[in-house]
Order: sequence, then structure tokens, then C-alpha cells
Amino acid sequence: MAKEGSGSILQFAPLQSSVEEGFWHRLSSLKLNKFGIDDSPIPISGFYAPCSHPQVSNHLTLLAVSLPSDSNDESAMPPTIPSNRNRCSVPGILYNTNTMESFQAFDKQGLLKAEAMKIWEDIHSGKAVEDCAVLSRILLISFADLKKWNFHYWFAFPALALDPPATLVDLRPASQWFTLEEAESVTAACNEWRNSSATADVPFFLVSIGSDSRAAARHLKDLEACQHDGQKLLFAFYDPCHLPNNPGWPLRNFLALISARWNLKTVRFLCYRENRGFADLNLSLVGEALITVQPGWRERQCVPNAVGWELNKGRKVPRCINLAKSMDPTRLAISAADLNLKLMRWRALPSLNLDILFSLKCLLLGAGTLGCQVARMLMAWGVRKITLLDNGRVAMSNPLRQSLYTLDDCLNGGDFKATAAVRSLQRIFPAVEAEGVIMAIPMPGHPVSSQEEKTVLEDCKRLSDLIESHDVIFLLTDTRESRWLPTLLCANTNKITITAALGFDSFLVMRHGPGPLNSNPNLKAETETSLAAGVDNLALTNTDGRHRLGCYFCNDVVAPTDSTSNRTLDQQCTVTRPGLAPIASALAVELLVGILHHPNGMFAEAEIANSNSGGNFELPLGILPHQIRGSLPHFQQMTLVGHSSNTCTACCSTVVSEYRKRAMEFILQAINHPTYLEDLTGLTELMRSASTFQLDWDDEIEAADDECVEL
Amino acid sequence: MDVLHWDGTLSAKDFKIGAFAFAQKWESHNSGFPPWSWVLCPKHPWLASPEEEGYLSLEKICISRPNEEDIDQISQIDTGEEETSCPGNEDVIDDATLVQSGHHELHYCDFHIVYSSTFRVPVLYFRAYCSDGSPFPLDEIEKQLPACSANELSKSKWTFITQEEHPYLKRPWYKLHPCGTAEWMKLLFLSDAAKPKFDVVLELYLLSWFSVVGQVFGLRIPFKISN
Repeated sequence: MAKEGSGSILQFAPLQSSVEEGFWHRLSSLKLNKFGIDDSPIPISGFYAPCSHPQVSNHLTLLAVSLPSDSNDESAMPPTIPSNRNRCSVPGILYNTNTMESFQAFDKQGLLKAEAMKIWEDIHSGKAVEDCAVLSRILLISFADLKKWNFHYWFAFPALALDPPATLVDLRPASQWFTLEEAESVTAACNEWRNSSATADVPFFLVSIGSDSRAAARHLKDLEACQHDGQKLLFAFYDPCHLPNNPGWPLRNFLALISARWNLKTVRFLCYRENRGFADLNLSLVGEALITVQPGWRERQCVPNAVGWELNKGRKVPRCINLAKSMDPTRLAISAADLNLKLMRWRALPSLNLDILFSLKCLLLGAGTLGCQVARMLMAWGVRKITLLDNGRVAMSNPLRQSLYTLDDCLNGGDFKATAAVRSLQRIFPAVEAEGVIMAIPMPGHPVSSQEEKTVLEDCKRLSDLIESHDVIFLLTDTRESRWLPTLLCANTNKITITAALGFDSFLVMRHGPGPLNSNPNLKAETETSLAAGVDNLALTNTDGRHRLGCYFCNDVVAPTDSTSNRTLDQQCTVTRPGLAPIASALAVELLVGILHHPNGMFAEAEIANSNSGGNFELPLGILPHQIRGSLPHFQQMTLVGHSSNTCTACCSTVVSEYRKRAMEFILQAINHPTYLEDLTGLTELMRSASTFQLDWDDEIEAADDECVEL
Repeated sequence: MDVLHWDGTLSAKDFKIGAFAFAQKWESHNSGFPPWSWVLCPKHPWLASPEEEGYLSLEKICISRPNEEDIDQISQIDTGEEETSCPGNEDVIDDATLVQSGHHELHYCDFHIVYSSTFRVPVLYFRAYCSDGSPFPLDEIEKQLPACSANELSKSKWTFITQEEHPYLKRPWYKLHPCGTAEWMKLLFLSDAAKPKFDVVLELYLLSWFSVVGQVFGLRIPFKISN
């Protein structure tokens, strides 16, 4: 469509910016490693190319290479800019500030004027003719918020305003302006210009057509040679714009050059555009502009007014881009961890339930050799919510065996383990929701004075609350008696409980069976695991506790007592072969994952590993044992089953009911009186009857002494 | 080498040969798209390997237009956050600037075909962005994919998108995980009734590979694998 003789103001389509992500990465790197708080202007390069698509304009692009190199062995000067036919390089400047306030306080008019002055100078000095890319100089202001990874920025494409503006005499597709012969020749000349490495990135040039219809593309400095009679002369430029009725922005400064330097009033121009890499004269436009500037406009010392701040969706506001997802290390760590687990699910374990792992709340009682390893393994499986309870401090020997601690945690008497562990977990994976609780677990057989009673009861209550608010409890302490109260509390609330215990060269890892009383008001209705479903099914088997799987204490015939005092020094330091704790901890976590994926959850029956099962498992994670006992000297491991005992001091129905009836009073009694639990459960009775049985046997022997021969 | 005993993988050298063959075939038959270009990678001075490494690059492919809803959504996000118009700026009144209305937001995708020396297969890396350069997240990309492929992705045994650092550009890109590639490439050629010889396999490797992975993005190769 031709636009003829309207004499209307020539309107240019503004340039649009496009900033590749790599630019912001490099800017951040420069700020962090090189520039620091120095906010001197930074030389940059922009890139653009002629329009290559009939419906889409090309943008002025910034890439990573637009900025100086961020490696340490080069100066801050921009290296040779990699220009090619698709990336014509233009010079520019970046003003990056350190605060939002300074970004907003930029004197935008002033900055624009300064760049306009550079262009004006280049026009008058002749530099713009030699190196015409300077006509398309760019300006960028920015504020890089490197905490939130927000980049605020605003482009300006400085254009010298003609006063009064140029008017449009004619504008039409190039194919309609040239004759067929001319068109063919112009196409060839332009393609040659574009394909030669010497001229491919020169965005302003001349097209001269002789009377023989032969066209040639020439550098701007050859203008005089082209101004012969009989020669048509067009001022050509790479036009990124695709619009059929408007030329692109670069023409503005081109016209300013033509007027100021060569004082031409009528300018015939060619908006050079391409399609699929070749000159397209249907898309390209030829137009005629009339320049009628006031006298004095051309004077070197009078810099014309400049326009060119880029609009943001039509508004005079800066742009902002957030790159946290690809630059914030925590976000990257989270997405990498997620993808890793999903990869496992995709490749090997399609039934892996990642949601349950992500939402699980684990309470670890003990932050020692077992606690540290269990915490790490849980994180590896995608568990994010971990609470560690321990009242000890990190000792000098700890870092070697307790994998969350380093020497720094031991200094000045040693940090509390619970807090040091949480810190360590956060360093490994910032998105972990870890909490430390500094508390001692009340233990039977360690009587407390009446002054301490109040604190002890508070601790009991606190432990009870903690257990209540978590889904899984790991018993990882270093004494038998410290496991008693947690076991009872877990049995009372039917929480998944996993015990790991170490001998010198052997270990035990087991899952506690469900508690004895199944109509449990404490059982949360909203658990999404199969716990709720499992409970209903188990009404039958739980009534007498016979089929219930046992807890840590079920096989014991003595109540937990003080095992720590009256031991010799070497016995007080729990010493184990170092390899045990990692093995046991790993098994404990794998056992947990097995429980979570079993349809019956913690109510699942026990399975034993046998050589007959081969590789075929009913469930994808394999069997779900009750107890795993391992022996390092034999490098062997056994899976065992132990059912609950109805005289168990921790989980039998007598004890749990008593706890429900009298709560803290009961606990206190158990703590203060070493034989109370044994009396309550009938263990005392059991022992007495066992020893009376002994006496009878002796009597019989005495009576029958004459008859029997001593063996 | 016998195709029957082949494990579906490529050596680095073969990848380079195959890449050039692929780029050539693409350019000569596929006028709908710009050509793939080979990008040379900066060599590490301390590595002994004499071979120059590189990857194939196809950039700025327009993947699709969002519908009207999305355009409004995008502008919401922008203006809501950023009300910092710098005050007191009396711009020069300029009649020569064309005022443009209704700006359609287009999304573009860059594709790189990079050789993985761990898996010994080509890997498709990609990323998407809007016309102003801002990145386009994966869940949004998946919405733009042809409906059939989005379905395939979630169920497929062979395709899995992960985010990883681009081996040369050192920035997070998305990629189609390569751990299944050798398997299905082997299957692909074994099931070919024509029973091609190994050197033919090599020449067609990237073409066949791309005809599968490209479908995830609706990039079809418009011609059959030649005999």
C-alpha cells in the first residue's frame, strides 16, 4: 500500500528491547566479583538486525557478551564484540545503581541529553560516516537487586528530533518503486552486502542505481562519488521494524546525519528488510522524506532535543524481571533435589510417593552418631521437616562420628547439639525446615528431687506435645532407659516409631508395633497415610495384643533402670565400631520409607528375608521386616519378628491404660521408683514365681538325695 | 560394527559427523525453519583432547501465541509490582513517534543439541522466553506444547524434562533426560525393516533421534527417513 503526498509527519516505529537472561547473569557476576559498589557507567553493546519476518519486528537485543568479561584475567574493557550479519553491534552505556532510590532518582533527561550529544558530535566530526553503528547508540539504566534477584531496567534509544519534524512525501514497498530490472539488481547488491563479512554488520549504507539499472551498495563515505546525474541514490538502513506503513527507529538519526552533514532537504530512503536471510523487496520500503529544519538547527553547538525512552506497555515506567528461579541458589537447590527424586520415580520406582515424604514431620530423639546420619538420610529422601532433640553439647570427639558437626561447633565449650545440627542441615539444604529442641528426656531409674519435679513434668509434657505434633519418631539415644518414655507416648498415640540401637559391633533397627488400645481419640482423622485405613482393619487383632508387633522393651524381663552410674569409666563412654552408626541409620530410614509405602503402614505384618524370595517382591520397595539385627564381625544381617508382650513395661495395655488414667503422676512414679513398673506389669510376680520354682527344685533334690546320683 | 550388537550410543567424533549431516539435511529439506548452526565451545587449556567440541543451536523459534487471557495476566503481574514511574520527567513532546497499540506477547524457544559424554548420546537442551527476553517457566511451556505431547510427557517412559546447568553456558536450561536415549535409539534401528548398515545408522542417527524428541515440541521433520 502506498502512502502518497500526504505531507504528514513521518512517524517512526520505536525500537523494542530484548534482554537475554545471560546478560543479567553476567551483570550480577560483575557486580559481585568485580565492581562491588562501584557504580561508574559500564560500556555495553547492543545488537540488532534487519527485520526477518513479515509479522514480527526484530528487537534491539542485549546478550551476555554485551557486557565486559566477568573473568578475572581480563580488563574491564569490552573485548572485540562478536558481530555478524544477524547481530550488528552498536555501542551503548549502562548506568547501574546500588539502590532503588538512586534508580528512581536518575536524571533521565540529563542522561538522554548526554548520549544525544555524543551522537551529535559523531555526526559533526565525521565519525558517524566512518563507523555508522554509532548512530544507533543505546542507553540503559538499571538496578540489580541481588537479594531478591529482581532486575529493574529502562532502555533509551536516543533519537535526535528534527525541528520541525520531517514530513513524509511517499512510502511504498520497494518492489513497487523499483523497476523489475532495478529490483533484481538491488536485491543482488544487498545480498552481497549482507554476505560479505566486511559489510554484513554495517547497518547504514547507500544504494546507487545507474542509468543501466545496475545497482551497487556503497559505504556512506562514498556519498560524493555516488552523487552523479542520472544516478538514483537511496539512503539504506537495516530496518528491524516490520510494519508496512512506518519506517523503523534507526532512520531518525540517519536523517539527522543526512541533514546536518550534507544539508539535503529531500531524502529517498530504503528500509531494508529480509525474509529467511535474503533481501525481501516486498517487505522492504522505499520512501521519500522532506526535511525542513530551522536555520540554526544544524549548528554544531546546538544539540537538538532528544527522545527515546522506551515505553512499557504504553506507559512511561521501567521494566522489571525476576530471575530468582534461575539464579537464587536456594531455589536451584530445591528444584534440583525435587527433580532428582522424580527421576528416581520415573526410572526405577513409579509408585514412589513423593508427596508423603515432602509433608512428613520427623522427630529425632538424639542428635549423636545415629541422629546426624538419620537426619541426612531423611533429607536425601526428600523429607523437609525434621526436629532434633538433644540436651548435650558438641564435644571434641564428636565431629569424627557425628556427621553434622565440625570443629567450629566444639569451640568455647561446644554448641548445643540440637542447634548445631539444625545449622548444619540448613547449610546442606537451605530449604529444610529444621528445628532443634534442647531438652533431656526423663528416664525411669533416675529419681528426681522434689525441686526438680516441676521441670521434669514440664519436660514430659513437652515431649508428649512434640510426639503429638510429628508423624514419625526415631529413638536414637544412647541409653536404654531414655527410650522408655518416648516408647510409651508413641504407643499411646500410635505414631510410627523406629528404634536404632548400637552395641560395640552389632546393631538393632526395628519398627515398633502399634499401641495396644486402638480406639484412640488421639489418632488424627486427617492423616493421609494408610494409618486411618489400617486402624479399622485391626480391631480384631489388637484386642489381646497377641498379634501386635513388639516394641523395644517387649522382650525385656527387667524394667529400664539406671544403666549409666556404677559403670566403669570405659563403659560410660558408649563405644562402638564407627561403621555401625551409618549402617544402622541408613537402614532405619529405608525401613521408614518401606512403612510409608506399605498399604497397612505401621500396622503391616512383619516379613522375613529369605533366600527363596529372589527378586520378586510384592511391593516395589521389597519386604517390610520388624527387626533387623546386624553383626559386623560376621558381616551379616538378620530379619526377626518379635511380638508384643503383655507384660512389656512400655507398651502393654496395663501400662498404657495407667498412663491414660494418671498421666504425669504415673510417669513420675515410674521415674522415682525403680521397681514400680515391674510391679505394675506383673514382671515382679513373674520373677518371684520363677525363683520359687527354683526353690522347689532344690527341695526335691535334697529329699531325693539318697536316691539320685549327683551329676 | 554390526547394528545388532550396537548399544545405541555414539562416540563424540561420530556425534560431530552426525550433527553436520543432520544440519545439512535439515537445511535442504526444511524451509519452514532457520538452519541449525554449529557453535564451537571454548577449549579448556588444560585438557589434552585435540578435538574441538561444539553443539548444534537453533534459536528464537516462535512456539506459539498465548490467548487473550494470558496477555491480561502478564500485564497484571508487571504493573502490580512496578509502580515506580520516575516523577518530574517532562519529556519532549514528540509527534514523530508512532504510538503502537495492543502488543501481542510472543514466546520463543532456543534449542541446543549437546553431546553427553556420560551417556554417549545427544541431549536436547532448551529454554523459552518472551520477546523482551524474560524467561518463560517450564510449567508454562508445558501448557503451550501440543496437547498430545503434554500427555505423552507425563506418562512416557522415554521423555523426562529436568533442569540442569548447560554444560557450556553455565546457566540453568531445561533438558530431555538422556538416560533412556540409547535404549530407544537401538530399538528404533532394530525395528527398521530395511536393516541398515552401521554407517547409514550413523548418518541418520541425529535425524531419527530428533524426529522423536522434536515431537515433544511439535517440531516435525517433514520428510521420511530415507533408505
